[in-house]
Amino acid sequence: MSGNVVQRVQRVQGVRGVRRFVRRPWRLAAEVSALVIAAVVAFPLYWMVLSAFKPAGEIESSEPRPWTLEPSLDSFRRVFGQQEFGRYFLNSLVVACSVVVVSALIAFLAATAVTRFRFRFRTTLLIMFLVAQMVPVEALTIPLFFQMRDFGLLNTLGSLILPHIAFSLPFAIWMLRGFVKAVPEALEEAAYIDGASRSRFLWQILFPLVFPGLVATSVFSFISAWNDFLFAKSFIISDTSQSTLPMALLVFYKPDDPDWGGVMAASTVMTIPVLVFFVLVQRRLVSGLGGAVKD
Amino acid sequence: MKLSVRSARLVASVAALALAGLTATACAPETSDNSSSGKDEQTGTLRVWLFQEVGNTPKEKVVTSVVDAFEKAHKGAEVKIEYIPVETRAQRIKAAFNDPKSAPDLIEYGNTDTAGYVADGGLLDITKEFSAWGEASDTDPTARQSVTVDGKVYGAPFFVGVRALYYRTDVFKELGLEVPKTMAELTDTAHRIRAARPDLYGLVVGGAYTYGAMPFVWANGGELATGRGGSYASAIDSAASRKGIKAYTSLFGDDNCPAAKCAGMGGNDTITAFAAGKAGMAIGGDFSHTAVEAGKVKGEYAVVPLPGVEAGSVAPAFAGGNNLGVLNSTSHRTLAVDLMEQLASKKTQAELFDAMGFLPTFADTRDAVARKQPYVAPFVKTLAAGTKFVPASPAWSQIDSSLVLPTMFQEIVSGKKDVAAASADAAKKMDAAFGSVG
Amino acid sequence: MRVGRGLSRSSSRPLARSSVPWLYLAPALVVLGGLLLYPVYQLGLISFFQYTQAQVSGGQPTTFEGLANYREIFSDSQFWQVLLATVLFAAACVVSTLSVGCALAVLLTRVRALPRLALMLAALGAWATPAVTGSTVWLLLFDPDFGPVNRVLGLGDHSWTYGRLSAFLLVLLEVVWCSFPFVMVTVYAGIRAVPAEVLEAASLDGASQLRVWRSVLAPMLRPILVVVTIQSVIWDFKVFTQIYVMTNGGGIAGQNLTLNVYAYQQAFASSQYSLGSAIGIVMLLILLAVTLVYLRLLRRQGEEL
Repeated sequence: MSGNVVQRVQRVQGVRGVRRFVRRPWRLAAEVSALVIAAVVAFPLYWMVLSAFKPAGEIESSEPRPWTLEPSLDSFRRVFGQQEFGRYFLNSLVVACSVVVVSALIAFLAATAVTRFRFRFRTTLLIMFLVAQMVPVEALTIPLFFQMRDFGLLNTLGSLILPHIAFSLPFAIWMLRGFVKAVPEALEEAAYIDGASRSRFLWQILFPLVFPGLVATSVFSFISAWNDFLFAKSFIISDTSQSTLPMALLVFYKPDDPDWGGVMAASTVMTIPVLVFFVLVQRRLVSGLGGAVKD
Repeated sequence: MKLSVRSARLVASVAALALAGLTATACAPETSDNSSSGKDEQTGTLRVWLFQEVGNTPKEKVVTSVVDAFEKAHKGAEVKIEYIPVETRAQRIKAAFNDPKSAPDLIEYGNTDTAGYVADGGLLDITKEFSAWGEASDTDPTARQSVTVDGKVYGAPFFVGVRALYYRTDVFKELGLEVPKTMAELTDTAHRIRAARPDLYGLVVGGAYTYGAMPFVWANGGELATGRGGSYASAIDSAASRKGIKAYTSLFGDDNCPAAKCAGMGGNDTITAFAAGKAGMAIGGDFSHTAVEAGKVKGEYAVVPLPGVEAGSVAPAFAGGNNLGVLNSTSHRTLAVDLMEQLASKKTQAELFDAMGFLPTFADTRDAVARKQPYVAPFVKTLAAGTKFVPASPAWSQIDSSLVLPTMFQEIVSGKKDVAAASADAAKKMDAAFGSVG
Repeated sequence: MRVGRGLSRSSSRPLARSSVPWLYLAPALVVLGGLLLYPVYQLGLISFFQYTQAQVSGGQPTTFEGLANYREIFSDSQFWQVLLATVLFAAACVVSTLSVGCALAVLLTRVRALPRLALMLAALGAWATPAVTGSTVWLLLFDPDFGPVNRVLGLGDHSWTYGRLSAFLLVLLEVVWCSFPFVMVTVYAGIRAVPAEVLEAASLDGASQLRVWRSVLAPMLRPILVVVTIQSVIWDFKVFTQIYVMTNGGGIAGQNLTLNVYAYQQAFASSQYSLGSAIGIVMLLILLAVTLVYLRLLRRQGEEL
């Protein structure tokens, strides 16, 4: 950065108070529009939760109201009253968490390899990881079906976990590169001078430093595994005890007579854990994703 | 940087690991061996898939009582029933054919799928058991035809379904309308209802409602396809068929059922609209009775056979319905066939009629229930007037699921193509499908 | 996005041995090779065979067809129509998502904590919503009979899914809604990582917002913009659930089909697995070409992977 900038920075610090005053009307306008946009973006979510609480018949009313006078828990009762709903929830959690943990570990190793080493085929590999994300998942269902059958995994949660790990890996590696790169090399050298072994550096120094980045990338693996119904629909053929939440949601999608209340209640139940997860990691997510550009 | 020998070996072993054990067949895509297991165990778990209907509870009750009796009679046999959603059935059943290990032993399936499932090698030939089954002789010929492919029997008919004309008695009375006696009168009546009551569809129709549209084609002398015994040729673009297509598609428009709303509708949507009191008339099945009864129009409607071209005639209806079949991969042949006979028995069918309104496939049982429940009369009359079936070709499943006919109707209705062009395209697609299996 | 190369240059340190990166890569390569590369290979294989349900379940033998499946799809006028629609639709989605996402990211930096939190939470909520649900809710909002949107806009019972363009527009809105948060959060994080003083200095110097963006922010954010652009192209080209759910599997007479849904319909609805696979392969090749061209352009401008 040029000295010019430094001078400007000093000037800025001197007049900060004035500037704030001048800018106020603009900022007010920006804040109002931010709030309005937030409301618009949140409206579909609000409508989802609202529809879940509306009593039967009110959803399909020709006078849609953005409120309900008689909130009812009937839709939620239908959702929770489903066979083994708790089981589905648990299954979804098992699938999503296994995918998150395993793919984070594998991606961490791979990202370390492609950022902290120079070797032949490095660029080729990077492009391959990118290409891997382009594979249309839907089209792969058939070959994967046979593969899971040959592994004897059909009808088990394993048939959901394995493909999801594979599909979330390329993106995770691609995103994690920035975080691994952000760790100063001096740190690595210092560690070796102190006599740390390779694996000690990897797991006790690098890993904790990259952890915020892992959290940020995990969000993606978590959502894709949690929300998936394509694999669940195709691979869990007949064993309902291995079903996941999206399958429980699909039950309400009868094309002849869709149970909108049930769909919306089930969706609310499905969205809340992700939202909670999001809110918990929000700070990390932002600082984490920011880390990706700090060069 | 050069790759050392060690790392080269590593790469090689990684690649080997990745591919090892996966390439069972070297250079052809995988298939499954779906031949029958040959085993016939007398104990163990029988898995059964039945369709999840609208308002399924009464069906579950009847089935549970049959299963309880079955389990009592067969010590050591356990029956697990799963109700699968109708809209994902094709995928589920295909998946079951592909993975015998997780496949059920007994399934319910739509009778239009029989030929396709047989060609897929999924269903067990039970001709021997069927002819030995005492009650089979009373099965009506149409129903029997729907489980038969090339003279062999692949299941037991579960119920039949035909469609007839539902109309609003209160609306007809208010507007002073007569029940239509010909197809021309039907169109005219529809327009008059819409003109007098713009909040209603005259006759609610759907662009994706193939089996509601086909009676118009058949009544005008058209056919889906001509031919027998495996080789078919599409006849949907014949002059007579086009006349029928024109008659049906002319019902889409602001003077009856606006295309913007109706082009995307399927059969169930039209019934939902009628039940909600949004239409003067609808083409619905005996199986729709429960849904209509549960709707707003309860007590304000009646049913008559759909009129044909000539006064007093009945437009040929599609003989729909479901069958039960045993899967080729079952290892409990005797048990599965026995349970199938119990579920498709006269007694169970009569109970299912009381519970769900499913029309029995046995002529005598059907007559008995018709005496008990007068609303069945127009449907029985429609059946008696002669029904039509889809081509008994494995290609039909494909034509049906690739939406050839709905696409045709929607193209005409939305003004993308005229009747001649759209029906010619549909005929081409159908012939390609017939050709690919012939 | 420059590569830290200090360590790997010298060969004396333990981390720098050439087998080490491959050791670290091994688990990823095994998983990707087995569960992605191999299925893709199978997909390619299927596309050269006659492969319908009858072959899959062993009712009939598979036969090698060479390029017949490709010939069939290339001679089908519907395929070209779908391809064109897919490209235009994906491009519209990418442009809208990126502009909405970037604009809102900039907006986020201009507001105090409370409105920022509100917008952030709303966006995270949209992000967290399952695609199936998001599509359904949007359909319900725009429903001609029960939806509030027509009521508010006074459109009566206008059906959004009947017209080809309006149906695509509806799907586009939903796609933007659920995918702009990723762009917004990432770009916002990127802007935050730029030292605040640099920005303030620039704006104090009297540079217009547009100029600040173009000559200060954009170059610094470039790596992140590359990532979100590539990701958006990849994701939006493959939009599946939204089209499938909102237009009921491809719209009236298939007018809203995109390649992905078309392939799926061919494969699963019509059981023409080989045709579906061939379309899938074509799609993969198109995406590959687009991305490689893009990367090459970047590299010419001096960027490095």
